[in-house]
Amino acid sequence: MSTARMQEILIGFGKGKQTDIATANLVAAIWQLKKLNAALANPKLNTEDDAEEFGKGHEFPTQTFKTSWDVSGTLEKYLSAEIAAWAMAFGLGKVVKSGTTPNFTYTCTPLFPANGDAAELPYFSFVEQIRPGAGVVADRMAVGCVVEGWTLSLGSGPGRANSKITVEFVGSGKVTEPSGITMPAATLEKLLPSASLALSINGVNYVSNKNIVSLETSWKNNVRLDGGFYPGSGFQSPADATSGAIRGRLEFGNRQGTLKFVARFENGSTELTKLKSQATGTAVISLTYDANNSLEVTWQKISFATAELGETDGLVTVSVDCLPMWDETNGIVSAVVECGVDGICQ
Amino acid sequence: MERVFMKLPFGVGEPTEVDATPEALIPKMVAGWTQCPPPELPEEVIEDVDR
Repeated sequence: MSTARMQEILIGFGKGKQTDIATANLVAAIWQLKKLNAALANPKLNTEDDAEEFGKGHEFPTQTFKTSWDVSGTLEKYLSAEIAAWAMAFGLGKVVKSGTTPNFTYTCTPLFPANGDAAELPYFSFVEQIRPGAGVVADRMAVGCVVEGWTLSLGSGPGRANSKITVEFVGSGKVTEPSGITMPAATLEKLLPSASLALSINGVNYVSNKNIVSLETSWKNNVRLDGGFYPGSGFQSPADATSGAIRGRLEFGNRQGTLKFVARFENGSTELTKLKSQATGTAVISLTYDANNSLEVTWQKISFATAELGETDGLVTVSVDCLPMWDETNGIVSAVVECGVDGICQ
Repeated sequence: MERVFMKLPFGVGEPTEVDATPEALIPKMVAGWTQCPPPELPEEVIEDVDR
């Protein structure tokens, strides 16, 4: 019997969105990408038993019940234009696609139900395979997943590890085994390295003054997981009440954005001044591969929540936590991503 | 300049062409406009056809 190695894992997920939470992506809408983390998105079965029930003459369980299914996972990747477009579109939830090959532009903003948008995030399917076919070790598809959140991390240094994205996702609980998916060829990604950064925060260009050391920005949807189990939400096996309940919807909760950065602090640095004055401005984070592949995230209005002096590699630095705020015209955050792949979140 | 079709919040009214720039799109997206397919052109009826 041959040992299965983690390096054999194939992952694919919906590049296009599902028509609804229960209808899996077809293979034409699935792409294969690589990731850095080995962890699998294992379906978790929640069970109950009858230990506490009276009438059986003792305190021990005699029967178990499949209650519900949970699916969650994480994708950790070197940042590319392709994964950036996918994470921003599925993570923020609203997207306008323009352009033609090789330059498609995805303009992404959060959903606002007060203005007529849906409260449900766009859904995708997530496939994991290890030797699919006759020698199968694992072959499953989680149907009805949404992006719980994403984090962009940029650091100093030339390696790919200084520009990364981590995407967390959660699923309805519905799992199809075997997946029925013939994994497509891997998508070639255009990396967005840290050295390409353009950064302007609250009126200061931190790249032209050569002061930026590191930056982290994130978005979290705080998906209402319990709200997905409503009367009639359905079962793992349709119409089989013993197979365990699955979620019929995945809606965002109170969403949260974060932005923090570390920069060299010198004579003329304004971070402490702006903290005291609570001055506001935009934060624009841009990364570029070429004219057709780029990412620009704009926090439309931020102030400094904290600004503390410290040291990095023996140099005086300031660590700043920003507070993203609502702008009456442009909202809270937007992302404009250019890449050569069509149909993302369409 | 490329333009895309978008419809008003809550699907009210006819699709409108909008410049496909972040400056034009983002305020409309925040206000509830969503991208939609272009409207179907009315079928042309030719009354005088050579037989």
